[in-house]
Amino acid sequence: MKKRLPITISIILLLILLAATVIASLSVGVADISLEQLLHSPILWKLRMPRVLLAATAGAALATSGAVYQSVFRNPLTDPYVLGISSGASLGAALAILLGLEAYLVGVGAAALTTALLTMLLLFKTSTRTNRIDTNTLLLTGVCMTFLITAVISLLMALRHDKMESIIFWTMGSFSSASWLDLAILLPVTMLCLVPVLYHRKDLNLLLTGAETAQSLGLDVEKVRRRLLITTTLMVAFTVSACGVIGFVGLVVPHVVRLVAGTDNRRLIPLTILTGAIFLLLCDTLARILIPPNELPVGSITSLIGAPMFIYLLHKNHR
Amino acid sequence: MLTLDHISHRFGKKEILNDVDLTIADGSFTAILGPNGSGKTTMLRLIANLITPSAGCVLIDGKAASEYPVRQLAQKIAIVRQNAYTDIDFTAKQLVMMGRNPYQRPLQDDTPLDLQIVEQAMRQTKSWHLRDSLPTQLSGGELQRVMIARALAQQTPILLLDEPTSSLDVCHQFEIMELLRTINREQGKTILIVLHDLNLALRYCPETILLYNQQLYFHGPTSEALTSKNIATVFSITAIATPDSQLSLQPMPAGQ
Repeated sequence: MKKRLPITISIILLLILLAATVIASLSVGVADISLEQLLHSPILWKLRMPRVLLAATAGAALATSGAVYQSVFRNPLTDPYVLGISSGASLGAALAILLGLEAYLVGVGAAALTTALLTMLLLFKTSTRTNRIDTNTLLLTGVCMTFLITAVISLLMALRHDKMESIIFWTMGSFSSASWLDLAILLPVTMLCLVPVLYHRKDLNLLLTGAETAQSLGLDVEKVRRRLLITTTLMVAFTVSACGVIGFVGLVVPHVVRLVAGTDNRRLIPLTILTGAIFLLLCDTLARILIPPNELPVGSITSLIGAPMFIYLLHKNHR
Repeated sequence: MLTLDHISHRFGKKEILNDVDLTIADGSFTAILGPNGSGKTTMLRLIANLITPSAGCVLIDGKAASEYPVRQLAQKIAIVRQNAYTDIDFTAKQLVMMGRNPYQRPLQDDTPLDLQIVEQAMRQTKSWHLRDSLPTQLSGGELQRVMIARALAQQTPILLLDEPTSSLDVCHQFEIMELLRTINREQGKTILIVLHDLNLALRYCPETILLYNQQLYFHGPTSEALTSKNIATVFSITAIATPDSQLSLQPMPAGQ
C-alpha cells in the first residue's frame, strides 16, 4: 500500500499553501503600485481583499459539494451543477438583468439566489416519497430541470438581444464584482454548511458501498443522505448566486485529491476543502493578471489548468 | 431469539411472501431453500429491516426490528449480501473495518480494539493476507471471505448470508461452509443462509426453511425437509438418497 502523509501534516501544508496563495494574490494585479502603497490603498481593501477571499470560499464550497455528490450518488461524473441549481440561479440572474436590476447593489445576486433556492425546493419536493429521497429520481429530475431552465434562458435571450451579452457574461462566472457584502453572506453560509459535511465524512464512505449495505452497517441512510444533500445544495445555491457558474472546480478537484490522497472521505473532505480554495483562488488570480488590463473568464482558466493536470495525474496513477 | 410474526410482503401488486410465521432458535444454523423467486432474499432483507413488511413484523429478542435504532440493529444482525459492490477504492481491511461502524461515533478514529477485532475476523476467514488488496484484485472466493469477515467484525449474535457460495468453485464452497459451521459451533452465532445446493444444506445445516409459492412450506430438521416428496413438490425434480446420505438429483420424467 502507498505510504501517505499523515492527515494533520497534509492539512497544515495546505493551510500554509493557502495563506501563501492569498498573500501572493493580494500583492499582484493590474494596478502598478508598490507594496507599501498597497497596504494603505483602497485597491487592496476594497477590491482585492474581498475578491481573493470570495474566490477561495467559492472554491472550497464547489469542490466540497462535488466530493459529497460523487459519494452520495456513487457517480464520479457528478458535479455541483448536476442538480440544476446553477441553471436555477442563472434564470434569476437573467430575469434581473432583463428587468435592469443590475444597478442595485445586490439585485442580480439576490434574484439568482431566490430562483436557485426555489429550484432546490421544487427538486427535493418532487424527489421525496414517503419521507425518502430517491437519489436516482433526484439526479434525473435535476438533469431535466437543467434542460428546462436553460431553454427558458435561451428564449429570454432570443427575445432580448440587447441583454444577451450581460446574461452570458454572468453565467460564465466571475469574481470581478466581488464585494465585502458578497463575502459576508457566502463565507458564513459555507462554513455552516461544511460542519455537517465534516461531521459525516466517515458516513460518506459507507454510502459508497450502497444504501442497503450502509444501513446494514448501522448508518441511518435516509437521515444522513438528506442532511448532506440539503446542506451541499444550499452551499451551491449561495455560491452560484455570488459568482455565477464556474465549471470544473467541483468536478475535478475532488478527483485530483482522490488520486493523491485516496478515496477515504475522512481524508478526502478536509483536503478537498483546502485544495478547492487554493485552486480557484489561483485560477482567479491568473484570470485577472494574464492579459492586463482585460480579464479572462475564470471558468476557462479552471479548465485550462485543471484538465491537463487531471489527465497527467490519471496517467501517472495508472502506470 | 428471532421471530417472523405472520410476515407478508408485496411489491406493488406482486406478492412475494405470504403469511410466513416461524421462530428461529438462538444458535441454530438454518438453510433457506426454495426455487428462484420464492422469496428467500426478501426474507433476509425483511429480517435485516432493509425493507418493511406489508403485514406482520420481525421480532428480535421480543422487540420489533423496525423499533431498533439503525445502529443498535447493526449490533444484532449482520448480513452478507449477494453481489458485493466491488467497484470501490477501499482496501479489504478498510472494508472489514466498516463492520465496526455500529460501535463507532462519526468523528472517532479506529481504536486498537477495532483493529484487533478486524484482524481476528480476517484471520478467521483466512483473508488477513489480502488486507491491502482492492476488491478488483480479489477472486470471487477471496472477496466473499472478506465480506464474511466484515460481517464477523460486526460481532452480532445473528448472521444472515445470501447465497455466499453460488459463484464459487466446489472447493471454495466447502471452505465457506466449513467456516460457517465453525463460527456457529464455537461462537454460538445464529446463522441463516440462502442456498441453492441442497447437498450443501444437507451436509452443513441442521435446520431448513423451505419456501414454495411465496409461502412457508416446511421449517424443521433438514433431513425431514429434504425428502423426495418435498423436493418433488418444491423444485419439480426427482431426488434419490444416496448411501452417504446425500441426494442424487435428476430431472423429472416428461409428463409428470
